[in-house]
Amino acid sequence: MSSGSSPRERLSEEKLARAALTYLAEPGDPALGALLAICSPAEVLAAIKADMLPGTGPGCGDTPASRAALGRALGRWRARLPTLPHEERLAGTSRDGIRLSCPGDADWPGALDQLGQGRPYALWLRGHTDLRFACSRSVSMVGSRAATSYGGHVAGEIAADLGERGWTVVSGGAYGIDAAAHRGALAAEAVTIAVLACGVDYPYPAGHADLFAAIAGQGLVISEWPPGRRPARTRFLVRNRVIAALGCGTVIVEAGERSGALNTARHAATLGKPLMAVPGPVTSAQSAGCHRILRDWAASCVTRAADIIELLSPLTVPDALAPGGVADALSPGGGPGQRSRPGSDADRPPSRDDLDPDSARVLDALPARGGAGTSTIAVEAGVDLDTVLRCLGRLAGYGFIERCDRGWRLRRS
Amino acid sequence: MPLARTYSVALIGVTGHVVEIEADIANGLPAVIVVGLPDTALREARDRIRAAITNSHEEWPQRKITVGLSPASLPKRGSWFDLAIAIGILAAAGKVPRAAAAGVMFFGELGLDGRLRPVCGVLPAVARAAEKGFGTVMVAEQNAAEAALVPGVRVIAVHSLTTAADWLRGLPGPDGQPAAVEYQGGQDLPGRDGRLASGGGAQAAGSGSTMAPDLAELLGQSMARRAAEVCAAGGHHLSLLGPPGAGKTMLAERIPTILPRLDRAAAFEVTAVHSVAGTLPAQVPLLEDPPFLAPHHTATKAAIVGGGSGVIRPGSASLAHRGVLFLDEAPEFARDVLDALRQPLEAGEVVVARSGITTRFPARFTLVLAANPCPCARVAGPSEGCSCSPATRRRYLGRISGPLLDRVDVKIELEPVSRKELLSDRTFSESSLTVARRVAQARQRAAHRLQGTPWRLNGEVPGSALRRTWPPAPGSLTVLERSLDRGLITARGVVKIVRVAWTLADLAGRPRPTRDDCDAALGLWLGVRR
Repeated sequence: MSSGSSPRERLSEEKLARAALTYLAEPGDPALGALLAICSPAEVLAAIKADMLPGTGPGCGDTPASRAALGRALGRWRARLPTLPHEERLAGTSRDGIRLSCPGDADWPGALDQLGQGRPYALWLRGHTDLRFACSRSVSMVGSRAATSYGGHVAGEIAADLGERGWTVVSGGAYGIDAAAHRGALAAEAVTIAVLACGVDYPYPAGHADLFAAIAGQGLVISEWPPGRRPARTRFLVRNRVIAALGCGTVIVEAGERSGALNTARHAATLGKPLMAVPGPVTSAQSAGCHRILRDWAASCVTRAADIIELLSPLTVPDALAPGGVADALSPGGGPGQRSRPGSDADRPPSRDDLDPDSARVLDALPARGGAGTSTIAVEAGVDLDTVLRCLGRLAGYGFIERCDRGWRLRRS
Repeated sequence: MPLARTYSVALIGVTGHVVEIEADIANGLPAVIVVGLPDTALREARDRIRAAITNSHEEWPQRKITVGLSPASLPKRGSWFDLAIAIGILAAAGKVPRAAAAGVMFFGELGLDGRLRPVCGVLPAVARAAEKGFGTVMVAEQNAAEAALVPGVRVIAVHSLTTAADWLRGLPGPDGQPAAVEYQGGQDLPGRDGRLASGGGAQAAGSGSTMAPDLAELLGQSMARRAAEVCAAGGHHLSLLGPPGAGKTMLAERIPTILPRLDRAAAFEVTAVHSVAGTLPAQVPLLEDPPFLAPHHTATKAAIVGGGSGVIRPGSASLAHRGVLFLDEAPEFARDVLDALRQPLEAGEVVVARSGITTRFPARFTLVLAANPCPCARVAGPSEGCSCSPATRRRYLGRISGPLLDRVDVKIELEPVSRKELLSDRTFSESSLTVARRVAQARQRAAHRLQGTPWRLNGEVPGSALRRTWPPAPGSLTVLERSLDRGLITARGVVKIVRVAWTLADLAGRPRPTRDDCDAALGLWLGVRR
């Protein structure tokens, strides 16, 4: 079309063509994937517009059967031609903070190339984080939408811990485990990526509109579908391969027997990525899928962020980006907003031996069952009110005790 | 020239504006015309004044009288200007020396019989007059004590139009004594005001009156007492949650007993607002005790933040300025009423805008919210337990909006007191006097530290400034961080806990919060089930 144009213009022309293709074809369309393997996106787009089968090179429609399939595909794509936005709108990729990333771009994650012909034609991005860098140390974490409080807790905890150690959490933005994983990473002020099965500006589920905005502010909301495209049942399954590909490994936190998370796990296994699962109660139907992949697919059993990092670390750079110990945040400049990963010593839960004498006495003063009021505890422990208040705060912070109807009680752990 | 001038002050909110009143007597059919944006009450003044002058055995000029109030653009309301207009008319008619009339500020409403009645808002008006260089003010006797609070002002207290006119003419009263009583502002009022003379008040600091409420009575609620102390010392807003009978209202009512008395400037601010609202007690010209306002939960938005058509009156939020605004049964308040408090909480003042005028009232108060955990308000127990579903409870407390709760630093849950707790707590209960002393010292420490900033109390310091300028001592956040990791508290919670830790450090006399203070603040914070 524009043989005389500069390389720079050709590139933007290619980007335009890829943007158009995301509108015309469903992501993961094998016919388009095969075509893009041998033709440039601009050629493909021109061919679709001209209703002409592109090239007759090897591998592309060289048998009557595949030519017929290609013809049908052409019809499919042409059907959406009238809905294709004007070129200027396509080009204005920065509108609403949405941009396009194409294979070959500086921020295109190489991990997606492992998908071969199933590689996305392009990705729509919302957020300012560098996608390629974010994916260099990343974990995909998915699970059931109907998560139990156990699953949500574990997912959030692990995601936050991963985030604090500089790992990106990739998930699908759905209710349940996905949301817990995203929120955990956000809480740790870490980058998290939500891979949607609809346009990045289309909040699905609607209740997560705020979550997506928060993710876009701190990480990325990405999609293979162009802005405005609505979600559909099959699209989630197509999307799952991208989640699996973006992470260095995939963790399933809670999944029922027929959960979509198992589909993601399958993609991860196909890609040869480490597959991990968090076990749950054997009686829980919500963890049945996790247990099956542990047994049948030889997934690794993980229970905390350190397990995951240990599994993935040989494949990535050493764990050097992790922040320092407690001393970091408590240096004079360290305000309350700063957080640090607890040092190795603090990794284990505090035991009674770590307590100062006052706190230990207060802890002993709590009744074995039921609760007790603040003054009762103070008298029992033989300390004054200020001391008991401080010790109660410390013990509650460490998780030894909690508030109850009658004051404070020992926490059953 | 039959023209005379007198002066008075028009109040907009608590800000006074000097008004010049001109009375002109000209040939024409007998009539009185009042010009210069008067409201209905002021237009009625001509009938009142005419009756008052006639009944005071003065001669009413049977000619055309024009009364002009300037600046004309300023809305003027009520019966404030009666005395000024009446004296103006008498001066224009030559019955009263014009020069004498022009040198005095007049405030007062006239009765038909010529008696002078008190008006609201005398204190800010007289203060304004003094600022503008008027050395002499004439007020009704009932307003004299209030007017005399302003230093350097000569206050003429009169009881009727006759005495007012006689004083201006330099004549003695009917009994040969001077026509009016004079006070010198800023000095004591003999016989009339024992409080002002002794310079000390009755109830707040616990003056031995057995009836005065005392914090020690709140037996068995040691955490709550401590929370009240923290709120009083740091100006933190407080939220109390608990079943009926646990002592929420009792606690809130005792917070004023541990607050320090108002300093001179604050007392003036508070008195000015109460003066405008007309809620000043007759025998107490200067409010030196922090006010305590507990509006009922059916209160309207105008009642809480101020407003009203015509005369804009301060609401409870402004009346509680430098004191405590207690919202009992907070979820029962209309949601827009609660949300209307967000702006004053943020800005420390209420801005009421009406088509004609925008009024500002100060409103820097300590908010105390109390709520039952559920609408049925039955004590949870084995026999007649609360039957509310979790969703109902959630919805009930959800009526207090998040942004409002975000401004609350201390949340306390009061549980029904067990016998054992009652017995144990006897060791620890302290009288209001003891606590008030600590509070006063803590406030001084905070004020000293916050010198040169717009804040005076820890509760007013925003989180960003706290983080930048006043971080706690190194190593004091260990437990906070662990709680953050465990999801017990949020990052926002950390800011509030550190703020409270500063107040605890002030109370304990430490230069900056240590690990102990932070842990104690955490204990207060975690004292609520969630």
